[in-house]
Amino acid sequence: MEQQPQNPEQTRPLRGLYRHVKISVRTLNVVIILGIAAIVLCVLFGVAHAGYTVTFDSRGGTDVPSQEHMYQEYVDAPTPPTRDGYVFTGWYVDENCTTAWDFETDVVQGSFTLYAGWTLQEAS
Amino acid sequence: MSGNTSNPNGENSPVLLRMEGICKSFPGVKALDNVHLTVQAGTVHALMGENGAGKSTLMKCLFGVYSKDSGHIYMEDQEINFRNSKEALEHGVAMVHQELNQALKRNVMDNMWLGRFPKIAPWLPLTSEKKMYHATKAVFDELDIHVNPKTVMSKMPVSQRQMVEIAKAVSFNAKVIVFDEPTSSLTEQEVEHLFRIIRMLRDRGCGIIYISHKMEEILRISDEVTIMRDGQWIATKAAADLTMDEIIRLMVGRELTNRYPPKTNTVGDVLLQVDHLTAQYSALSDVSFVAHKGEVLGIAGLDGSGRTELLENIFGTATRKSGAITLDGAAVRNRNARESVRNGFAMLTEERRANGIFSILSIRDNTTIASLKKNRIGPFLSNKKLRLNTKWSIDAMRIKTPSQDTKMRALSGGNQQKVILGRWLLTDPTVLLLDEPTRGIDVGAKYEIYQLILNLANEGKTIIMVSSEMPELLGICDRILVMSGGKLAGEVDARATSQEEIMTLAAKFA
Amino acid sequence: MADLKEKSRSGVGARVKAFGALPAKEQANRVGNLLLNNAMYIIIVLAIIIIAIIKPQFLSVSSIINIVSLTAAKLPIALGIGGCIVLTGTDISAGRTVGLTACIAASLSLTANKLYPNLGVMPIPVVLLAVILVGACVGFVNGFSVAKFKLHPFIVTLSTQLIVYGTILLYLKQGTNNGQTLSGFAESYRGFVTDELFRIQNVPVPRYVLYAIILTVLMWIIWNKTTFGKNMFAVGSNEEAANVSGVNVTRTIITVFVLAGVMYGLTGFIDAARIASANANTGLNYECDAIAACVIGGVSFVGGIGKISGIVVGVLLLQIIFVGLNFLSVDQNLLYIVKGLIILVACAIDMRKYLVRK
Repeated sequence: MEQQPQNPEQTRPLRGLYRHVKISVRTLNVVIILGIAAIVLCVLFGVAHAGYTVTFDSRGGTDVPSQEHMYQEYVDAPTPPTRDGYVFTGWYVDENCTTAWDFETDVVQGSFTLYAGWTLQEAS
Repeated sequence: MSGNTSNPNGENSPVLLRMEGICKSFPGVKALDNVHLTVQAGTVHALMGENGAGKSTLMKCLFGVYSKDSGHIYMEDQEINFRNSKEALEHGVAMVHQELNQALKRNVMDNMWLGRFPKIAPWLPLTSEKKMYHATKAVFDELDIHVNPKTVMSKMPVSQRQMVEIAKAVSFNAKVIVFDEPTSSLTEQEVEHLFRIIRMLRDRGCGIIYISHKMEEILRISDEVTIMRDGQWIATKAAADLTMDEIIRLMVGRELTNRYPPKTNTVGDVLLQVDHLTAQYSALSDVSFVAHKGEVLGIAGLDGSGRTELLENIFGTATRKSGAITLDGAAVRNRNARESVRNGFAMLTEERRANGIFSILSIRDNTTIASLKKNRIGPFLSNKKLRLNTKWSIDAMRIKTPSQDTKMRALSGGNQQKVILGRWLLTDPTVLLLDEPTRGIDVGAKYEIYQLILNLANEGKTIIMVSSEMPELLGICDRILVMSGGKLAGEVDARATSQEEIMTLAAKFA
Repeated sequence: MADLKEKSRSGVGARVKAFGALPAKEQANRVGNLLLNNAMYIIIVLAIIIIAIIKPQFLSVSSIINIVSLTAAKLPIALGIGGCIVLTGTDISAGRTVGLTACIAASLSLTANKLYPNLGVMPIPVVLLAVILVGACVGFVNGFSVAKFKLHPFIVTLSTQLIVYGTILLYLKQGTNNGQTLSGFAESYRGFVTDELFRIQNVPVPRYVLYAIILTVLMWIIWNKTTFGKNMFAVGSNEEAANVSGVNVTRTIITVFVLAGVMYGLTGFIDAARIASANANTGLNYECDAIAACVIGGVSFVGGIGKISGIVVGVLLLQIIFVGLNFLSVDQNLLYIVKGLIILVACAIDMRKYLVRK
């Protein structure tokens, strides 16, 4: 079709990811308000169900119940688990048992798991 | 219906479509000024005019692509105001586009019934291939089209795809069918077939609006002719009363007043030589010409005649198949835009908005994008240099803008064009390729652009300029090349030629 | 609007009158526009105020330094992705690339190396070079595919993301490591990243805050003061016009992605030392945070629009809100939902701005 002097407002290509967007501002307003409402609801739900779970992975030892804590609370030191043929060395943050958890100074920052450290019982 | 068949001019037949006092303006341009058009049942009504005369805008107003500023459209005495082409279709107004919008990977009947697939039963949301096939076949038989409804679109030639489009319009029981340049891609036999179908539709009582540049066709097929110019209605006459010369006179019509600045440039030696240029992916073939220092060389031709392709091939944004370009005695390759810019070429693109401007960037960014390398201190850009160069460009081009930081989108079309011209002047080009430099620009700004072009020629730059507006070419060019069907149809001296001569040349291979 | 201006010229009294005469609906519209276009900032600031009231220790020095350090850690990746978004693209391979480079940086700095038992602790420049190279390689693959095949960045980076993830898993299987978390780094490496820069009220500020600032300044210079930066915005704004203007579009796109890759590499380098471990999940979903931060910070998917300062503000706001929710002990799993919603709403707001202008 032949080109006409066109209205720049009408034919300006809306580029980028919005090239094919066909939505009215009114609809967008509703979407934005609904989205914000959803965010607020989510946060409220989160606040209502606040609390982090500290899970204890005894790794073959006796079960240790998990604990619920708020942010920046101390974890209560649980009864040490036992395991046949091994000696319990403490709770660690990582599976490799390189960083120990200090129940006196370390505080909860989120949900996490502590891993039990074991060493083989000496035969003596 | 049968009553009208004996009267091809349809003098007493009922009025199908009436458009009255249609006005439409875009910022700075009055595209339609009080245009009216009346289509009677059982007639073929041709709509003619130069490029930019407002034919397409009028049709877009009819189909609701644009909303008209004022005026009324009546369909069989009922006022209508379509919001989109779907609504128009439902009311019996259909359009066969020059560029076909079809789902090419789907078959013929899918395309015919797209959006209204027949269901097996009203309550069952399954489409019935069988019903679709027979309905398609019925329409094709009626129109004497021999196409298998199950053929995939992309496997058919353009002409047959167009037939499908016509059949689709018929299947909607369209009373008014608009044909926009339907023959531009058809062979002679196909044109005959198209005409047979058009006559058949006419005899069934349809009103046909036929838009074309080709005068012989118009005189053969149409009953009435409406001629438009500069967005205004000029005349509506019976085709039998018109001759080709008469149509051209009405289409071109206007007097050349001092809409153009005085020509002061002097043509020097040969600077650019193009030999046997053939494009890889377009119809452009075997174009040779020379351009001189300080010369404004115009390129005329119809849409699709290869004017833009010629510039793109010279500039390297389209792929060349063969041919050579010599600049100042040395061969240049111009394999891509970057190389061309280095060789001293500059190109103002036709689609300013699509590939000319960065609408969300500032005027400074738009001005300096092609010459960033000259604005550096070490590896870093110098704000001072950028500002100075932009200031020079704004002053030299007389760009009206509050500041350099103004976003490009806030400027008028004319000022945008000046910014782009300024962008290229900062690269210090020797050859400027301008594709429709004044399109979409109001008359006052056009004069300024002409003045700038002539000033550049005065400085010894070579300007090659494509334009659809013939008076413009005659007004500021030294020589005019006329393209037709991808070939060079002729070369004329701008001072000694006439629009009629150019028009005749432009139709040579079309 | 025009007659409003006319009126305003005829004196203050008339102006007041004119404003009063402005239909109430129009005023409401304007206020509504302002509120909706800045909705994201408004709710974040509101949330911060509420959290600060409930938990005053949220505004303590240690908490603020914690937020700043977290921002510093997430900033480079967002700076990288910002460039991709300016090109109307995106990069979802970012998080995994961070993971890979973190693992590589970790593996070259282990005191007891299970991956390469014979390899000692590598000097810092070697480690840096390695992560930069790996990041750049991933970026190059992304950029090349986007620029040359004209594929959508989503598809390209989705595939590289998978490739990179597979590589991480295989890499962690080297030697006798068997896919375990890498931890126990040489002090030279950890110290280089996490040693204290200075103390504010006895709370140490880690060194990587400084690195993040350096990277931000560097990116600001690249975006605003180099040819490449200008070209990037031009390509993002209108690729066709940039090409016609003689910009090397392909090179620009590739460079943007390579630069982003380098940023991911550096993030990985910092992250391994910061967390003191690296495993297959390091860097998971970092791209979500980064994309959200960019969109909040006004880097638009329209392309060609974005500022470094916006990205910094975006990352900062996002970190503040998440640390704040952490203070309220909100479940992390819920935070993913909140993040997703924030991205969606931020996009809707961004879209709204450009639709209104249209």
